[in-house]
Amino acid sequence: MKPKRGLQPVSRWWRRLFPPGYTFLKPQALVLCYVLWLATSQVFPAWPSPNHVVGLLWSNFKDPVFQQALLGSVRRMVIGYALVILLGITGGVVLGRIPLVDQVLGSLAVAIHAIPGAAWVPLAIIWFGMTERAVIFTILLGAAGIVVVSTDTGIREVPPLIQRAARTLGARGLRYFWFVVVPAAIPKMVEGLRLAWAFGWRALMAGELLTSVNGLGQLLNRVAKAQQLDQLLALMLLIAGIGVTVDGLVFKRMEHEVRVRWGLA
Amino acid sequence: MRVDVQHVFKSFPHNGESIEVLQDINLTVDEGEFVCLVGPSGCGKSTIIHLIAGLEQPTDGQILVNSQPVIGPDLSRVVVFQDSALFPWLTVLGNVEFGLRMAGVQKLKRRDRAVEYLKLVHLSKFIQAFPHQLSGGMKQRVAIARALALQPAILLMDEPFAALDAQTRAVLQNELLEIWELARPTILFVTHNVREATGLGDRVYVISSRPGRIRDVQTVTLPRPRHSDDPALQAHQHKILGLLGEEVEKVLREELGETVHFPEAQHPTPPDRALGMHI
Repeated sequence: MKPKRGLQPVSRWWRRLFPPGYTFLKPQALVLCYVLWLATSQVFPAWPSPNHVVGLLWSNFKDPVFQQALLGSVRRMVIGYALVILLGITGGVVLGRIPLVDQVLGSLAVAIHAIPGAAWVPLAIIWFGMTERAVIFTILLGAAGIVVVSTDTGIREVPPLIQRAARTLGARGLRYFWFVVVPAAIPKMVEGLRLAWAFGWRALMAGELLTSVNGLGQLLNRVAKAQQLDQLLALMLLIAGIGVTVDGLVFKRMEHEVRVRWGLA
Repeated sequence: MRVDVQHVFKSFPHNGESIEVLQDINLTVDEGEFVCLVGPSGCGKSTIIHLIAGLEQPTDGQILVNSQPVIGPDLSRVVVFQDSALFPWLTVLGNVEFGLRMAGVQKLKRRDRAVEYLKLVHLSKFIQAFPHQLSGGMKQRVAIARALALQPAILLMDEPFAALDAQTRAVLQNELLEIWELARPTILFVTHNVREATGLGDRVYVISSRPGRIRDVQTVTLPRPRHSDDPALQAHQHKILGLLGEEVEKVLREELGETVHFPEAQHPTPPDRALGMHI
């Protein structure tokens, strides 16, 4: 028996377009954001349209001043992040291996990790002046803490079953550390490195903004003082874009691969 | 090699108290013998394996292997764990090579040996796979190959097939027997499955729970492969199930309190049904 048409709930057009449980695909979501931005820019004349901002960003890439700033930021991030990896993992390994050091410096690492990157800038300026080194110092202190803490945790928390299996198979001393503890800690390390990228990127911007070293952060400062809202939005779009892209293309993938192989996903 | 466990007691600290897990355990495994330990969950069976492996020390009593006291892990005593305990970051080959690598065996030699044992467990097609790509049964095969590759005199197996489905378990039990006939290692096999214990072991120790004590030893002289409908085998199983039934009742009473009542002389798993597949 067919149900009577009149008794059916009224099916509305948006219910048909977006049935319950509907999820937006990435491109759909992006288009929706774009449309929203475009619509608001039509309503408020002071609010620049997305087309204009993206066009501005595009033309910026041909501007040598902008190129210099972008390259400078990238260079500092590469150096800073390399130092974060080096010192963060070394520190984490030392803390994880030597309980006495961990008791004393473990809480220090947590404390350093609790200080936002931007809060290191004043100290960096006192020690290094308005220099590139000050910015790199800011990245290092803003991001190394989480790598130390996660490496330390990964090394101390080798699953007991893995420990037992390794010991019965004759793993001892340095070999046990290198062939069992380090690989067992890799998922935690990768997790820490991914967070460190995000923290480091924020710290870089804060550092450049406050030290007026030639970079994207300093450009932000300059266009803000000149009241160029469209340029400001273009730069912020770029900063967000770089952050999201590097995370998505490098870290998210790496973390996923590791989690799958380690049987955690 | 011969294993002697003599008057072994083991306690663990728990919430500031000392919990006795094992009480006066005496057991022997003769050279080349296949001995099973069967008991309910939480009776300390795994602890016995850990003690013989040298992963833990007894609170009292001693464990002798060829009359020498056990002081730590040794490559002559290798454990196969319930959850395979494979290293997820190594391939199947890397896992089987691991013990040889730790022992400093040269690369080509250890590769050959690993491949040989992977063939023995029928996994030579999967040497480059990672553990997360394998089924539970295949993982246990790798774990067995990893242990055998060290050519241990004593193989300690801690509920190795407990997490597998019945068919896979039956296949692996038969293959284990074939391997045992071939190399004749001394095997101590822990299980909570009465049918498994009586189907495999020369002797079956029945362990009671909380604290773990040895209730009985059954010597099974029937030739292998044993058939589960053999009345002589069933007699052994009924005897063990009778003992374990009381144990299971005791455990459930402790866990669930006094609200659980069992009709007299009737334990929760009637022997005519599940026959102790999962006590």
